[in-house]
Amino acid sequence: MDRLIEILEDIQPDADYETCTTLIDDHILGSLQIISLVAEIEDEFDITIPTVEIKPENFNSAQSLMAMIERLEDEG
Amino acid sequence: MGSYISISYLLLFLPIVAIVFSVVPKKIKPFVLLAASLVFIWTCSRFWIIYWIFTTLSVYLAALFVEKSKQKCKEALPSAEDREQKKAIKKQFARKQLCVVSLIIIANIGLLAVLRYSQFFVANFNIIVQKLGADFQVALPKFAACIGISFYTLQAVSYLHDVYKGKIAADHNLGRLALYMSFFPIIMEGPICRYSDTAERLWNCERIQFKDFTFGMQRIAFGILKKVVVADRLNVMVTSIFREYQYCDYDGGIIFLGAVLYTIELYMEFSGTIDVVIGSGEIFGVTIPENFRQPFFSKSITEFWQRWHITLGTWFKDYVFYPVTMSKPMKKLTKNARKKLGRNYGPMPASIFAFGCVWLCNGLWHGAGWEFIFFGFYHFVLISLGSLILPLSTALFKKWNFDRHKLPYRIFTIVRTAILVCIGEMFFNSRGLSEGFKMFKVLVTKFTFKSFFNGAIFTMGMDRFDYIVILAVIALVFAVGLMKEKGISPREWLAERHICVRWAVLFTMIMAIVIFGAYGTGYIPIDPIYANF
Repeated sequence: MDRLIEILEDIQPDADYETCTTLIDDHILGSLQIISLVAEIEDEFDITIPTVEIKPENFNSAQSLMAMIERLEDEG
Repeated sequence: MGSYISISYLLLFLPIVAIVFSVVPKKIKPFVLLAASLVFIWTCSRFWIIYWIFTTLSVYLAALFVEKSKQKCKEALPSAEDREQKKAIKKQFARKQLCVVSLIIIANIGLLAVLRYSQFFVANFNIIVQKLGADFQVALPKFAACIGISFYTLQAVSYLHDVYKGKIAADHNLGRLALYMSFFPIIMEGPICRYSDTAERLWNCERIQFKDFTFGMQRIAFGILKKVVVADRLNVMVTSIFREYQYCDYDGGIIFLGAVLYTIELYMEFSGTIDVVIGSGEIFGVTIPENFRQPFFSKSITEFWQRWHITLGTWFKDYVFYPVTMSKPMKKLTKNARKKLGRNYGPMPASIFAFGCVWLCNGLWHGAGWEFIFFGFYHFVLISLGSLILPLSTALFKKWNFDRHKLPYRIFTIVRTAILVCIGEMFFNSRGLSEGFKMFKVLVTKFTFKSFFNGAIFTMGMDRFDYIVILAVIALVFAVGLMKEKGISPREWLAERHICVRWAVLFTMIMAIVIFGAYGTGYIPIDPIYANF
């Protein structure tokens, strides 16, 4: 989780990723940030994020992002 | 039935379907909607309904194949001895699925391209051949298409793609898929619905509720008001400016007024029709997605496209933008660019490439002509420039301690966006790209407000009365938009008022349509701008 928050802070510094649950809804993460984020997460966690996973419920908070990462890791 | 805002639809087709729908048992209701939708398509397209049948059957069968293949893959996996073998089995089945899905998507998009764009491509081919000095020309092909082909093809592609990606399950019920693909209020002008949001709700429709019925009727009345009082009334002057500007020696001020009025006409026509569409759905208890969210409150072109023709924008985002930016080469490009260009500009190369793909498709989707391709390119340039400037302007505003949320600055950005949109729409409505550039040249080089004060603007098909009527309805639309921006639902707000107020509002709207609607001599109702898509 710490590594994910580091990546998020590197991509978009002005947000409280510990508590924020509206990263997409409040336009904190736009499409450009999502492109960077996906590339960094895939590299860091050795997973592939399919385009169908790019939806607000997966990207609205650090927690939901982490849950998606863990699920994709399990699916192999 | 050439339009939803027609007597044949509003006073005949819709009431008959609603009556039949309300008297039959629940089990039969979806079949009533399906039969009505097929009758609607048949009435508009006759024999060419065959194209719709092809698309519906092809995605239905392809989705079932994908599901069966996934099932077979699951059954085959336990026999694998190690992880590598498992991967190989998965790859083998995935390749088959991809082949079938690609083939069906190419066939359907190809069919759309042949029916809608072959004339454009052949005409351009002939020009090139002529320029090269060859002495032959290919005859321009003429094809009839099925109503709503651009809309239902995008719905079909999204359904098959989502099944392939495992987002939704394949539908075994051909009737439910056919209803999703044909529902009569959306077939002609959208919105572009998603299977996961719409299909089940449509198939499990309930009996008509009083609240849904009254809300639906209000929405329909509001849509008709926008179309027949504003759009049809503006059409006379807009046609006069756009079709006769070269003979009448209009100045830049008139051209700019024409661009603004056309943009208002387009918005009132398209959003008015969508109001009728959503209202029709509401009557049957079906929530159709919104296609507009107060677009003229946008502070940038990017935001404008998040509020205008929303379902088309999200379709392109989900099925063109992200698949392109998330492709392996683009991800690699993003990673490398981030190292060299930093976090702000790192994702730009991939996203600008993807924006280019999106806006080429968007331009072509709007029509087969260079003016439409230019329309897409124009927005691509504005959005790309906006993305490139944003990090810089954010840093500068921070340095200068400038508050971008202050009202004057917000108004400035809203007006700036509206002007840029109007110029884009001027090209969109011009008769060819060269005409668009000629108009733009007049707009820039001969701009003057003279015609606004010497009475010239009252001699082009609209008098003072027309302006007053149009401004009154625009003020009403603005007030409704402002309420929505503040998070207030105008209809919920109205529903809480006394019954006398509610009926007075509805009665006033109906009377305004009857009295101020642009009918009879001197008026030519606009053909629905998006109906032949």
